[in-house]
Amino acid sequence: MADQTPVLRIQNIKKSYGDNKVLKGVSLELNRGGIKVVIGPSGGGKSTLLHCINFLVGLDEGRIYLNGKEIIHNRKRELTAYRQKVGMIFQDFNLFDHLNALHNVLIGPVRVKKLPKSEARERAVAELERVGLRDHMTKYPAELSGGQKQRVSIARALAMDPEVMLLDEPTSALDPELIGEVHEVIRDLASGGMTMLLVTHEVGFASSLADEIFFMEDGKIVEQGPPQKILFNAECDRTREFCAKIGRLHNNSS
Amino acid sequence: MLQGFIVISENLPYILGGIWVTLTVVVGALIMGLSLGLVLSVAQVYGSRVVRRTVGVYVWFFRGIPLLVLLFLFYFGILANLQIELSPFIVSIIVLGLISSAYQSQIIRGAILSLPEGQLKAARSIGMSDSKAIVFVILPQAIRLSIPGWTNEYTIILKDSAVTYALGVTEILARSRHVAERTYQHFWIYILAGCIFLLLTYVGTKLFQILEEKVRTPGYTQ
Ligand SMILES: Nc1ncnc2c1ncn2[C@@H]1O[C@H](COP(=O)(O)OP(=O)(O)O)[C@@H](O)[C@H]1O
Ligand SMILES: [Mg+2]
Repeated sequence: MADQTPVLRIQNIKKSYGDNKVLKGVSLELNRGGIKVVIGPSGGGKSTLLHCINFLVGLDEGRIYLNGKEIIHNRKRELTAYRQKVGMIFQDFNLFDHLNALHNVLIGPVRVKKLPKSEARERAVAELERVGLRDHMTKYPAELSGGQKQRVSIARALAMDPEVMLLDEPTSALDPELIGEVHEVIRDLASGGMTMLLVTHEVGFASSLADEIFFMEDGKIVEQGPPQKILFNAECDRTREFCAKIGRLHNNSS
Repeated sequence: MLQGFIVISENLPYILGGIWVTLTVVVGALIMGLSLGLVLSVAQVYGSRVVRRTVGVYVWFFRGIPLLVLLFLFYFGILANLQIELSPFIVSIIVLGLISSAYQSQIIRGAILSLPEGQLKAARSIGMSDSKAIVFVILPQAIRLSIPGWTNEYTIILKDSAVTYALGVTEILARSRHVAERTYQHFWIYILAGCIFLLLTYVGTKLFQILEEKVRTPGYTQ
């Protein structure tokens, strides 16, 4: 391993909404090619954490480093350059509703990277092909299924050449039969060496992919460790209880 | 009654000629209102506190004062004092345009606020600056949503444009009045004028409906 600097390091992030302390000091590191999964009960601050990492939500405290360099988020150029390097996948897709699939992917390379039209187009087509949507490029978000929408949004993020991807429950808004196609795309990314921070409750998927799982509750990372340990043999009672519950749900539905 | 028809047929070309004057005033005001309204709406949604306040005052001013007062204020008051010579026609477009910008800014502002928050977040997440996100993601959607509001705005400006006859703009009403005073056929002439306005309202509304259909995003129902 030549480079041991974490791709992304976040240090002691705190965030409150009024009196509601949503993040109470969260730190984590992502090594190149590493895949970390965050689990935890609803309202525990998982989405807020991911949004904070991308500065989509302003943090009250904390530092974020990309490849060892601290990001000063009020320098606009630095912020937009950083966000290109950190791909974000939202629970509810957030595709640009007025653009078809191709243009959803194209808009970043054209407007942000300023690639020439033809080059950007080739790139966008390639990314859509990669997520298996070559035949749906001219469809608008409202004409796509949830699984297809999420794959377009992954293509949109990939077209910016991210070094890290943050995925916030990418399949939780999907009908069960559509989850597989999105998982397949994420698996491909993983085998391609993409560094990822993934929030999910799909236990089987998480344990096959993650090299570490974080259990997050009440704005804190309560416990972290390898998947087998966290999911089936956690030290903390709360973690065990939660994992037993989602494990049961998962078994019942499959 | 026969007399009425004779008068109408004799003066029809003259009165109908007012349609172009009216439409130029209306379309000019709408375009000016749209350009200014876009800037104002963005300023009011995304601007700093001071900027938002300022826009608020602007909107309050132009929505709160009667059109006729504004026309006289600009034409006889402000422009005369500054010794700027503009034709009543141009002044009418400007004043109606300023008023329309106040209303249109509120139409567009409402449309911007009705967009899901995730649209801006997604744009930022791929590295767009806020200004790019507004131009390429927010406004294209907000403008589509604004079209029904504009249809309404068109009909209002169309009717308001009749007031510009007070400055001497030779639009439909001014010409009708001119003919009516000369021929004493007030009833038939004003019926004619009313019908012309109704027709313009109808045609304009239809055109906006066609536009709305044309730019509708496929599969999108709202
Ligand atoms: N924009 C917001 N304004 C106020 N409170 C918020 C906002 N976003 C999230 N919260 C609160 O933060 C807490 C954590 O939410 P979230 O990060 O969505 O949790 P999770 O993703 O783990 O379910 C919740 O109590 C939620 O109500
Ligand atoms: Mg969440």
